[in-house]
Amino acid sequence: MGVHPRAQDYPESFLPGVIPDESELTVGTKIEPGKRYGFFTDTTLCIGCKACEVACKEWNSLPADNMGLSGMSYDNTVKLSADTWRHVMFVEKVDGATGMQPFQSNWLMMSDVCKHCKNAPCLEACPTGALFRTEFDTVVVQQDICNGCGYCVPSCPFGVVELSMADGKAHKCTLCYDRLKGGLEPACAKSCPTDSILFGEVDDLVERAGKRVEELHERGVTDAYLYGAPNTPGATGGLEQLNAFFLLTDRPEVYNLPPAPTRPANRLAPGLLAGMAAMAGLTLAAAAIFSAPGEKRR
Amino acid sequence: MKMSAPYEGQTYYGQPVVKTPPYDWRIAAYIYCAGLGGSAQILSTLARLSGREMGDVVRNGRYLAVAGTILGTPLLVSDLKTPSRFYNMLRIFRPTSAMSIGSYILTGFGGLSTLTAMGQAAGGTAEKAATAVQLPAALAGAGMSMYTASLLSGTNGPLWAATPRALAVQFGAAAMANAAAALSLAEQKAGRSHVSARLDAVATLALATELAASVVAKEERQARGVAGPLEEGKWAKAYKYGALALGVAVPLACHAANLAAPPGRKKSRSLSILGSLAVLAGGMVLRQAVLQAGNESLKRPADYLRFTQPKAGHWDERKVGSLEGRAAPPRKAAISASEMKPRDYTTGPRRAKDAAP
Ligand code: SF4
Repeated sequence: MGVHPRAQDYPESFLPGVIPDESELTVGTKIEPGKRYGFFTDTTLCIGCKACEVACKEWNSLPADNMGLSGMSYDNTVKLSADTWRHVMFVEKVDGATGMQPFQSNWLMMSDVCKHCKNAPCLEACPTGALFRTEFDTVVVQQDICNGCGYCVPSCPFGVVELSMADGKAHKCTLCYDRLKGGLEPACAKSCPTDSILFGEVDDLVERAGKRVEELHERGVTDAYLYGAPNTPGATGGLEQLNAFFLLTDRPEVYNLPPAPTRPANRLAPGLLAGMAAMAGLTLAAAAIFSAPGEKRR
Repeated sequence: MKMSAPYEGQTYYGQPVVKTPPYDWRIAAYIYCAGLGGSAQILSTLARLSGREMGDVVRNGRYLAVAGTILGTPLLVSDLKTPSRFYNMLRIFRPTSAMSIGSYILTGFGGLSTLTAMGQAAGGTAEKAATAVQLPAALAGAGMSMYTASLLSGTNGPLWAATPRALAVQFGAAAMANAAAALSLAEQKAGRSHVSARLDAVATLALATELAASVVAKEERQARGVAGPLEEGKWAKAYKYGALALGVAVPLACHAANLAAPPGRKKSRSLSILGSLAVLAGGMVLRQAVLQAGNESLKRPADYLRFTQPKAGHWDERKVGSLEGRAAPPRKAAISASEMKPRDYTTGPRRAKDAAP
């Protein structure tokens, strides 16, 4: 991408303050309300350094989660949670299919994150309106409204949002809502040393991701495909599109992702209609039973 | 429908894919109270409009409806993790959320039922007014009886989500059976077994409906390969013996024996009472078992991954070519001892190259 001409204005190591529209310098995109922003996480570039995890914790002041060793390869973070909004997964490939020795570094690594779904099931489940759609087309929990009902938790098809037992509210990635407002790209994307995590306008990212898949196919990585871009796995069942989408090289299940997730709200009408029909039927039957002639009062 | 194989492919170190809600016995108890109160309001309304001598069914039904609300609401609020903000439930209306829809059904039902009960207590003209209010209350009562099934199936819990329709019918019918049983018990206590007989007939019909729905639900779960937590384990036992055997089979047998009695012969009072008690106990077990088994199914990655396997033609296969035709990855094989032996790095070209001057 080259250096943005505006970067010339800031030659010093120490800056006087926040650079206005800094994202223009770092990712070439000016962040403006009304546009749709997201992440493109290219797992073929991930080196498992967890800089994104650390940057996220630092910026959002999130407490440590799991202080033990998990035994899951290099993944001691284990999962996304109320206090962990980026999670680098390590899948060790020891099946010998690659011709590599067992234990030789042959990992699939992926930095998982909230997908900021186009039809977000967490948001659709939220009865208080605490979960809302921001002006950047991202999905955020308003902490001053959430009452901790927890209904978003089983509604998220990807197991992202979680209740914190420390404060009784739901928490998840905000796509750095505060940074976007200040013209900064999200902390994880900015810290990613290999640009495995790209931040930008969603349509732009989808286009670039498509090119990246083609490029990888040409270079012999024919397994590469997109997860969460329109009309791909992950963007199924009424979810339509994930604003944070991924480039994967193995089945989604390997990355703990559902191959064809669904939108729970689509199940409401069938359930409610069937239930009401049953109640109507039983009510009519009960009416008939009650008004049938029978024994006189004794 | 046929059983389909469970997912046996690779998972991420057995970690759940989706997260489990913090819903415990209180939510199941609420579902029970909501259903019992809701359906009691329906039966009370029908009794009021039937023009027949229905004992205290009208009065008891109205009071049961309020009791269901008064007992159920604190159960719901206490399960919130920030209960002091319970009123935010009515901050917006979200038609895509069963929780939001339910909050309004509960509020409407609670308000209307309170008015009806107050009219009942006051008597006279107030009682007439109560009857007018009772019609919408009964409609909300129908919602109370079954929306709680959509509360569960409107999530990504595989066990619930596999069968939204049948679960709603099952919960609704169970609610109707519970209400009829509770009202029947009161009539037996008051010595009006002829009124109880009518209520037992309603319970019998509701139980038959519940049974049919439970069969369909089971088939649907098996067809999606997610029936596990209701087929094995402690909640499966509770479901089979508590909800189905005690809650449906026993009362069906009791009431059927009474219904089949030739006209003129006196119906057995103890059979009616036994049947009603079994219905009331089984209804509670049903809600607890379905809620907890669903929680368990959320914790099982294989169940969710099985539930989210794509159907043929699910997405544009040209663009996702590499995914198609690739079988679900097998579970990781244990590494054999021979593979464990480290390569001998002390000989070979690498070493020779190192030694070169
Ligand atoms: S991934 Fe989950 S938490 Fe994130 S927007 Fe989608 S439903 Fe909500």
